[in-house]
Amino acid sequence: MDELELLKKDWQKQEQQLPKLSYDQIYKMIWKKSSSIVKWIFYISIMEFAFWIVLAFLPIKSEVRNGDGAKLILFTEWAIQIISLLVILFFIYKFYQNYKKISVTDSSRDLMKKIIKTRKTVMQYVWFNVGLFATSIIVLLVEILIYDPPVELTEKVSSASSGILAWLLIGVFFAVAIAFFGVLFWLFYRVLYGILLKRLNQNYRELKKLEV
Amino acid sequence: MNKELEHKFVTELENNQNIVHKVCSLYTNDRDSHNDLFQEITIQLWKAYPKFRGDAKFSTWMYRVALNTAITLYRKSKKRVKTQDYESVIFKIKADEYDDTQERQLKLMYNAVKQLGDIDKALVFLYLEDKDYSEIAETLGISEVNARVKMNRIKNKLRTILNP
Repeated sequence: MDELELLKKDWQKQEQQLPKLSYDQIYKMIWKKSSSIVKWIFYISIMEFAFWIVLAFLPIKSEVRNGDGAKLILFTEWAIQIISLLVILFFIYKFYQNYKKISVTDSSRDLMKKIIKTRKTVMQYVWFNVGLFATSIIVLLVEILIYDPPVELTEKVSSASSGILAWLLIGVFFAVAIAFFGVLFWLFYRVLYGILLKRLNQNYRELKKLEV
Repeated sequence: MNKELEHKFVTELENNQNIVHKVCSLYTNDRDSHNDLFQEITIQLWKAYPKFRGDAKFSTWMYRVALNTAITLYRKSKKRVKTQDYESVIFKIKADEYDDTQERQLKLMYNAVKQLGDIDKALVFLYLEDKDYSEIAETLGISEVNARVKMNRIKNKLRTILNP
């Protein structure tokens, strides 16, 4: 391709026209704060960790504490707390490990891969928490419905012509509500991801495509 | 970080700043973004500098960090760099200087390169800097064969841009 060769020959000549920064200008720059995508990812990830930690340890306690069933519920709540604590610790460790490995002196492909991997850890963490949160809600609902049903609700259901249908409707209502929040959450992540990682993912795919 | 290291780094960068400026003008379209990217590359270079061992040339090492920053780490921000002394930089896109036919061709070519995607630009940049395929491949993290294949595709792309 002739034009490219032409440009190549001419390429070094452009140097006289490039800006020239002084020693002092460069010196000042090294103390400025980076606004790189890795920094953004780091801060956002820390926020996500903090958010779910706070949420996991919010004191949501029910008042039913007697009978065999209540014991089972109590145990489930306990188990969920212990598991979530362990998993949070595991994810923080994994996140930190991945984050430390990100190095600007890697090849472009490795650098992108490591950034994506770091983000993936946080994503897994978030989805784990969403799952756990949903489980907790269900446990809470079962608890309320079985051991301490609101009087109004029980009366309405028993006065309905078909009891099973009424329960089914309640079930559907909760399923829809959970799905609605799930979609909302998913959308939020799509946007956040889109802003942050769209270009990176595109570039990574392009490099990866070459290796097939 | 000690003073000696700072001094060594800034001197090296001052002497090799052309490389960074060339990357900046390839990846940005206005002066503010150019300055912004230059600053980010400088920060990344400085952060990585303590791990830089003298076994590679400073300039070779710079190519990698500068391109990685431009392709992956840099986020185009709306915030402008307002440092006064930095604003006074004389900025010119070299292509503006060309007038007659051959020069016009060069200008068109440069503009065509600027229309390429991030990865393609990186390949062309290294090619123009007279790097061989093994170095291009290593910088981007692909195989040498694939670097050649890719380069051929880019040449075709450029042809299409020039002769639509």
